[in-house]
Amino acid sequence: MDETVAEFIKRTILKIPLNELTTILKAWDFLSENQLQTVNFRQRKESVVQHLIHLCEEKRASLNDAALLDIIYTQFHQHQKVWDVFQMSKGPGEDVDLFDMKQFKNSFKKILQRALKNVTVSFRETEENAVWIRIAWGTQYTKPNQYKPTYVVYYSQTPYAFKSSSTLRRNTPLLGQALTVASKHHQIVKMDLRSRYLDSLKAIVFKQYNQTFETHNSATPLQERSLGLDINMDSRIIHENIVEKERVQRITQETFGDYPQPQLEFAQYKLETKFKSDLNGSILAEREEPLRCLIKFSSPHLLEALKSLAPAALFSRIQKLLCYSASHSQGTQDLSSYVPLYTRC
Amino acid sequence: MAGILAPGLGVLAHLERLENQTSRSRKRSEAQAQERVLGTKIQKLRHLRDDPRAALWHRRGSVKACIANVEPNRTVEVNEQEALEEKLENVKAILQAYHFTGLSGKLTSRGVCVCINTAFEGNLLDSYFVDLVIQKPLRIHHHSVPVFIPLEEIAAKYLQTNIQHFLFSLCEYLNAYSGRKYQADRLQSDFAALLTGPLQRNPLCNLLSFTYKLDPGGQSFPFCARLLYKDLTATLPTDVTVTCQGGEALSTSWEEQRASHETLFCTKPLHQVFASFARREKLEMSLVS
Repeated sequence: MDETVAEFIKRTILKIPLNELTTILKAWDFLSENQLQTVNFRQRKESVVQHLIHLCEEKRASLNDAALLDIIYTQFHQHQKVWDVFQMSKGPGEDVDLFDMKQFKNSFKKILQRALKNVTVSFRETEENAVWIRIAWGTQYTKPNQYKPTYVVYYSQTPYAFKSSSTLRRNTPLLGQALTVASKHHQIVKMDLRSRYLDSLKAIVFKQYNQTFETHNSATPLQERSLGLDINMDSRIIHENIVEKERVQRITQETFGDYPQPQLEFAQYKLETKFKSDLNGSILAEREEPLRCLIKFSSPHLLEALKSLAPAALFSRIQKLLCYSASHSQGTQDLSSYVPLYTRC
Repeated sequence: MAGILAPGLGVLAHLERLENQTSRSRKRSEAQAQERVLGTKIQKLRHLRDDPRAALWHRRGSVKACIANVEPNRTVEVNEQEALEEKLENVKAILQAYHFTGLSGKLTSRGVCVCINTAFEGNLLDSYFVDLVIQKPLRIHHHSVPVFIPLEEIAAKYLQTNIQHFLFSLCEYLNAYSGRKYQADRLQSDFAALLTGPLQRNPLCNLLSFTYKLDPGGQSFPFCARLLYKDLTATLPTDVTVTCQGGEALSTSWEEQRASHETLFCTKPLHQVFASFARREKLEMSLVS
């Protein structure tokens, strides 16, 4: 086994927390059951790692096997990376997409290898019709750097691919080209959407965020959610409050639905608007040029935060602001069609 | 009030006191007048509120009286309840039966939720939903159609002009996809013994590639088949290529077999072709033994 490969495997295994080690090794499926049983996982981590490296050497692990282990580690720790979304498009009147995975893999690899002599490309298919691609970049004269790879998750027969953000931006055009040509598309465009949570990005881009539907079988029960009212209050006041709270709840449900929201961390709007004023002679209203500003909402879980604003009665104000900004926004319009709140405005 | 006034200063202080008194009493009478006005307003509102409430109570009382009169006929009540339950079960069954028509829907607060139940060869397969908002323009609120089905294309063509056509076209695509998926799944699960390698498929199940042997464990060469379904509304392939692995010079019998397999794959569903292979193999085995 090559020294660099041994070092690479060692560093990858060292990253894996002890409680995940057996799961990941089983998913890797490189070391046999018998071999794994000889390892005492209760030792100190360094000893476990040494034993595992020894077993890998016995089995003569290749660079490809090491890369596969790296892919599996990243799949288990997706949230450690920030993912960008790319959308591809076909030309008009193109034939039906007869996607052949073998052809795709060969084509993709060839394109990269032709451009850069030194590049490591590895693939791992998952059950949801997605293929994880790992690319370690080198140049004409230097070997690939295995410690700064780029990951691409491509959903075949869809126009979407997710790429891990990396600092090596000079290879992005080549990567885009390889992906486009191998998947028989014409163009590729980066979308204004980015997150640590691949599942949320998928939910937004595939429009799968709401999967509850009304059928005759599911009698949707009248939601008797407690509205948190003080029973000791005068019953007439309670009635007035109930009407208002029910209205707010209904609007919230129509806008956000009952499903868990996709996890977005920030949303940014460019706003270009003119100022309207009741007073005559207001300086701002008389401005010829429109006002330009950038509005940014951020939160660890933005959509859930907005959803919880409703009961706090700040909802109508935020809604007005978003309505206004959405109808005037430029440049970030793609986001408004994905997030359900904004399509209402 | 202090009676004895000091001359001079005392007069002004007295006048001030008198002034305050009158203003206080004026304010008091103003407040009282306002109170009276509000009092009548409250009475009016109470009246407005209590009136329908009174009417409601009265109605409830009379209904209760009616029920009390009817009480002795309890058996009639029970029969009625049973009859209603039976009716309810009937209606539920009819609504469920709609699933077998392949296309059903339920009105929602904002439009209609259409349910497409796919089937192939009499087997009920997956269901897909499209929730439509009835507005001008008609739009899709959310759906469970897989992302590789060209829903947006079909909607762009037909949704605004001819909703029937939109639904039927979507049904076609979904039923064909379900049918192709069913065939591929059956091949993988029921006829794995005849396959010599994994079945290669894609999300739309419109390209299938596999190698198979008619006599597993036997001496014959395996066949390679590649099925292309260029028509996404069909469950049978449009292009089939069968080749023989390792046989450069094929004997005529092998060539005949190869050609006949190509025809079979073009005309019959995949799992049925393999079922006939399995039957033939069984027959041959029984003849040999």
